Amino acid sequence: MNERGTTRISRRRFLKAMGIATGSLGLAAGLGGCAAPPAAPQQPAPAETPARGTVPKTLVLAIQGFAHDAMKPVLAKWEERTGHKVTLESGPVSGNEMITKYAPAFQSGVSPVDVMSDADDSGPSFYRAGWMQPLDEAIPQETWDDFPESFKQQIEVWHSFEGKRYRVPHEFAIGYTFYRKDWFDERKIEPPKTWEEVVAIGKEFTKPPVFGTMEALIKPALAFVYMAYLTSQTGGNLFEFDEATAQAFQFAYDLIHTHKIMPETTLSMDYTQQNEEYMNDHVAFMRQWPFFWDVARGNKNWYQEGKAEITLPPAGPAGAKSWWGGWGFSVPKFAPNKAEALDLIAFITNNENAPILAKGQSWFVMPRKSIMAVMGNEGLAVHMQKYAEANVPAPRPFHPKVAEAQSIVDDMAALYLTKQISLSEAMKQGKERIAALS
Amino acid sequence: MVPSSVSVPTSRVVRFRITQRTRRILLVIVGLLLPAAALRLFTAVYPFLNTIWLSFHDWNPAFPPQRFVGLKNFQALTRDIAVTSSIDFTILFVVLSTVLQIVLGLAIALILNRAFPGRGFVRAVNLIPWAIPMVVAAIGFRWMYDVQYGIINDLLHRLIGVRIPWLVDFWGARAAVIATNTWKSAPFVGLVLLAALQGVPQDLYEAGRVDGTNRISAFFYITLPLIMPQIVTIGLFMVVWQLAAFDLVFVMTGGGPGFATQVLAYRIYQVAFTALNFGYASAISMILFVTVGIASVIGLLLFRKVEVSL
Repeated sequence: MNERGTTRISRRRFLKAMGIATGSLGLAAGLGGCAAPPAAPQQPAPAETPARGTVPKTLVLAIQGFAHDAMKPVLAKWEERTGHKVTLESGPVSGNEMITKYAPAFQSGVSPVDVMSDADDSGPSFYRAGWMQPLDEAIPQETWDDFPESFKQQIEVWHSFEGKRYRVPHEFAIGYTFYRKDWFDERKIEPPKTWEEVVAIGKEFTKPPVFGTMEALIKPALAFVYMAYLTSQTGGNLFEFDEATAQAFQFAYDLIHTHKIMPETTLSMDYTQQNEEYMNDHVAFMRQWPFFWDVARGNKNWYQEGKAEITLPPAGPAGAKSWWGGWGFSVPKFAPNKAEALDLIAFITNNENAPILAKGQSWFVMPRKSIMAVMGNEGLAVHMQKYAEANVPAPRPFHPKVAEAQSIVDDMAALYLTKQISLSEAMKQGKERIAALS
Repeated sequence: MVPSSVSVPTSRVVRFRITQRTRRILLVIVGLLLPAAALRLFTAVYPFLNTIWLSFHDWNPAFPPQRFVGLKNFQALTRDIAVTSSIDFTILFVVLSTVLQIVLGLAIALILNRAFPGRGFVRAVNLIPWAIPMVVAAIGFRWMYDVQYGIINDLLHRLIGVRIPWLVDFWGARAAVIATNTWKSAPFVGLVLLAALQGVPQDLYEAGRVDGTNRISAFFYITLPLIMPQIVTIGLFMVVWQLAAFDLVFVMTGGGPGFATQVLAYRIYQVAFTALNFGYASAISMILFVTVGIASVIGLLLFRKVEVSL
């Protein structure tokens, strides 16, 4: 201490202290950057009884914004039962965005959310990286038994890794064929049942700006969606770039450039633009995800019965098929309130609450027994049943490096459909790039 | 103030003696600089070194473990059409955008440097495109280029009766992206060059007039040489800035159609954050780093060449 009451530090001690501090910071940063994320702390199994009396916690559930209203009644019941709170956060709208948003946090061993709605294109990467919590103990068998037998294989491939389940499906996303029943009735014709009819009927309706059909194909990912749809109808293996895949690519090309029943502008369209075109009376029939059912009916100024009906998809060489996939609920391994999160995910996916979610938003409508028992005769569920009875659903093409493989298909399709490379070159490059993934 | 004393002995060895006071000053300097240096170390140097390290590894957290692969990632780059196309367009995008921004920026600066009523207002309005966030501009232009509903096609249709599917056509999409980027940043370049123009001494023009110089000669022999250092500086700045451009392409075209408008930064994002292939993404990042480095060296050499002293 000096005469002013302050401590004097010698130069040597100051430099020493600074050196140690800098070295420690460097070491910590180096180790932090290079090391694997810290192991998640051991958490107790989810409580089966209400957690009243424990310290109330606030959990974060991330799911796309449009589903929040449907979630609220179910979450209120859980909050009432446990005394905890749930904050809804708007989750990403695609698998790519899921990876972009959450991978850095998970890689650092933290999670900004407790429960999340996760996509097919991101889920498998998350489980493989060890960032998700297995749900086998949290989800009761009766919930899994509520899914139809046809779901089992998809759950094993897309929702599981090394025998453990990591995601509970909450969406049955299949490409439905929407069509203008009012226009078809007026002309006294049926919607197309084969690829040949797609072309013939498409030509009949096409008179720009009205087109027979339309499909949003903008990068990233949307060209993959359509190519996977057409390849399911040719019976090909998309990630092998086989003959049947080439047939699907060729058909898409012909719709745009040869028969011109699909406008070239679809190559730069997203789903919002595609739906706008349909609701501006510019499209006779199109493939679209289930959410369009609500979008069309929600457009009160435009919608009338018959303007957005659903029919079976047209049959290609391998039949009338449409691939399906979808989103599901997961719990990150690093969830801040993991025990409560596991209890919450079991609650919102149980057989009692799944129908409540489905009634609130068509995104949650699935062919689960509990949902079909409640709403099997109304709305979209009717068409879901018809598709299932006609054996339309085809498995989503799987690749262990799903995001990269899909991106390759997307790239090759975009290059071919914009006439930047030939079909044979697209198939050759696609095969080579898929082979390079392994 | 001379902080240190230098004693020069008769021997050939020169000895520096640091006084107690100098030591204290040095200590304070080091102490003050250390937090900033540490911050830069961990936010710039460490990530950079780690990126170099990762570029020699196969590292995808979904497919552990991390493996050393030597130059394999760099060899793969040469065969990857997505990367080679990205390099092509990145160079085209940066060079064309920068040239157009400088030409238009200089034109804007020359206009705004003249005296006319409402000049202050026009100078403020000029900056509006620069003040608009790139994402907002990209979304706006995406709609403006739309074939059916876009104002650009509507004008073309009214004037010459054609509609161009800008964002679907290979060269149309490239032109649209470069035009949007030029529109966004030319006002900023104009502002910088306006400041440069205001630094040109008026007596040089008066001397030129006495010698019979016309306006065009004055521009090429007085104005341009004197503002060339600022042109090179802003040019270098724009080149380096635009080499890392991402948001415009991400929002406006997604890199399409095909790879027509894909830039390196967007490719890095795709490989790193949608495929989690950190090793390969790091290798592509090194290519971008080398490109930025080369551009910087060329810029600095140019700058030395055009330095002017009045």
